[in-house]
Amino acid sequence: MAVATRDSVFAGPSVYERSRIPSPVPTMLQVDPAIREQGDVMQVNFGPNHPSTHGVLRLVIDLNGERIVGLNAVVGYLHTGFEKNMEAKTYWKAITYAPRIDYVSFQNNELVFVLAIEKLLGIDVPAKATWMRTLLCELNRLHSHLIWLGTGALELGAISMLWYCFREREAILDLFELVAGFRMHTRYFQTGGLAEDVPVGFWDECRKFADVMPARIDDYEAILDNQAIFLERTKGIGLLSADDALALGQSGPVLRASGVNWDLRKREPYLAYDELDWNVPVYTAGDVYDRYKVRLNEMRESVRIVQQCLDGMPQGPWIADDRKVVLPPRHELHTSMESLIHHFKLVTEGYRVPEGEVYVPIESPRGELGCYLVADGGPRPWRVKFRAPSYVALEATATVMTGALVADLIAIVGSLDNVMGEVDR
Amino acid sequence: MAVEGNGRKRLADYGLNSERLLMRRPGGVRPDPSKFEDELGDLEQKLMLTTLEKAVAWAQANSIWPDTFGLACCAMEMIAVVGSRYDIARFGAEVFRSSPRQADLLIVSGRVAHKMAAPLRQIYDQMVEPKWVMAMGACASSGGMFNNYAVLQGVDKVVPVDIYVPGCPPRPEAVLEGIVRLQEAVKAGVPPAYETRRVAS
Amino acid sequence: MTYDGLPGFLEERHAYGETTVVVERESLVDAALTCRDELGFNVLADIAAADYLGWGSKGVAGYWGTAGGRDINAPGSWGLQRTPASKPKRFSVSYHLLALRDEPSRIRLQIWCDEGEPVESVISVWPTADWHEREAWEMLGIRIESHPNLVRLLTEDDWEGHPLRKDYPLGGEPVRFSDAE
Repeated sequence: MAVATRDSVFAGPSVYERSRIPSPVPTMLQVDPAIREQGDVMQVNFGPNHPSTHGVLRLVIDLNGERIVGLNAVVGYLHTGFEKNMEAKTYWKAITYAPRIDYVSFQNNELVFVLAIEKLLGIDVPAKATWMRTLLCELNRLHSHLIWLGTGALELGAISMLWYCFREREAILDLFELVAGFRMHTRYFQTGGLAEDVPVGFWDECRKFADVMPARIDDYEAILDNQAIFLERTKGIGLLSADDALALGQSGPVLRASGVNWDLRKREPYLAYDELDWNVPVYTAGDVYDRYKVRLNEMRESVRIVQQCLDGMPQGPWIADDRKVVLPPRHELHTSMESLIHHFKLVTEGYRVPEGEVYVPIESPRGELGCYLVADGGPRPWRVKFRAPSYVALEATATVMTGALVADLIAIVGSLDNVMGEVDR
Repeated sequence: MAVEGNGRKRLADYGLNSERLLMRRPGGVRPDPSKFEDELGDLEQKLMLTTLEKAVAWAQANSIWPDTFGLACCAMEMIAVVGSRYDIARFGAEVFRSSPRQADLLIVSGRVAHKMAAPLRQIYDQMVEPKWVMAMGACASSGGMFNNYAVLQGVDKVVPVDIYVPGCPPRPEAVLEGIVRLQEAVKAGVPPAYETRRVAS
Repeated sequence: MTYDGLPGFLEERHAYGETTVVVERESLVDAALTCRDELGFNVLADIAAADYLGWGSKGVAGYWGTAGGRDINAPGSWGLQRTPASKPKRFSVSYHLLALRDEPSRIRLQIWCDEGEPVESVISVWPTADWHEREAWEMLGIRIESHPNLVRLLTEDDWEGHPLRKDYPLGGEPVRFSDAE
């Protein structure tokens, strides 16, 4: 499919002509003074503690009856200071912080940070680690979309979807526990590969899951796609045109639902994605329903990728051979003095990453997750910045909610699939 | 029972040395976890609860309704507890109420930024007595791995906490153990934290 | 392709498969418009600002001590093996641009500024710069000119200071790790 191209709308200083992006502040919908004159505008606070805002998002909304005429998204209620904290720790420890940023697709955060470190170090990751990372990231994509679907449908009233999606989510978390020892925030990706070898029982369990999952996804589609209320509440709501999406820096399912065929796994491949056979779902209407369809079909594609990874998993080492970065095997510490010294230096001081700056983008379930890493040649990062897709997606709230009803707000916020951990970092 | 000048009772007034029930070491011996129920039985006699109080405590404990206060990663495990595998409904927490006015238990799940501390206290104040607070996870208990300018180092700085559940995030089974211990404490007559302890400064 | 036709062009670096183009701070908006309209960089992926206060001041590591001696007990104080190249100014603001087309291309447009020097907002070029610039101002104190809504985003409205600066403390509270403390 051809990529939507930029047309002359954006030539010149005014990007706001013929777009729904409010001006002058693109992220804030301001009440039209004429409506305010009529005197019936009420300001409502969708506070940080709300069951449907997917975390601590605060939306200050001006309502004229049921219609939203003003909107301001206030974030920062989960600001944790990740970036400053990671500057104070060695790279080994900083990797532990990364998964908690986007706590729903945790391994993607680990992956982007580890890829940035490996890019600066210039070490080669063995094939088995690359394929295993691909498999785990796709399982994590499934995990993220299941949570999105479960909670999103719950908020629209399809309460049973929560139980079904979380049943599958438990199966995925069992797989993570099998391979890495912990359900969430597995900290399984290490600089140079994986932290440990894959346990023997994992392949069979993963295959059992991958065989069962497509039928389950069909079940979800059957529940929701023929449901008149769901269709009524999602079709034609929260429109975002392709040009507006590009101007607002959107990526991921939000962009693909607006008709732009852009997936970093295909366009700027990383890991093993260019060796696998899978498709990118793209829909054109740019409404909440299309974002739902994109994610649902992405789940199907993820299962395909998982099955192909299982079929084509190479054998071999699970971590690179570079002893300046990777811990030596435990048994060597008894006999080799060099290994002991390396172990000591790596654990106490940490490995040194050469001076430089990199920006590594990957396709997280929410869009383009990027890590900008500045290294000074020492054992600790100088500056880490995570480009969070939900942060940018929330910038689009004012645009997608133009003219929406307050009841549509829940559906639209849900369709943007924001995780406040990565918005606030 | 002795009371303070302002009417607030202290734990000692209830005949308790410490609310850490399982840590009590009679004769310096660490109690066997299977003796938990025995100790609590002993406690009931010590507190001299009346049958009516016992019945009320039984009802309160077995129908603790949590408030939807999911903040971060722990919220994902809290939702897992609601799911069908680690069903929290069988422990009485049938529904998670969105309105704090209708909730009994505030499960603070996730890191509390300083910006969020004020809404947190507001939600706690809006809850109606008797109310309990569970600090779920390392971040709520003590600030967790985020010892920095942005994160509140422990939610007990703004609200009194009844039970701390460690983990990052705690497994759903750990959350359930926290709920069970809280239920046992309530049934034994241990007062909610706001009666016995001031909020740490 | 070379980018030396950009207004205010200063330097072009290629490293790790990435292209960094440094332009003068004053010609930022012109360079941004050129990138967007003529070179096709229609998406602004990220604005990442960094503070280089204290860059390379840890000295050289190994068995060579610095002038003031070495505190071998402080973790991570072993210093650097080689003093890194010095930076032109204190702050760098990197605009990560993406040309979203069939042959995608990425570039990092970078400017350098010191404390108090104003940086023009690129919100008129890419509307998505709104929150990124607010965050750069809030976290690092980089003054963004002609931004329509420059208020604090991630921290509270009355927060003082710019947390991600190197002279801002990490904060937190001291932790007791043993009975002895």
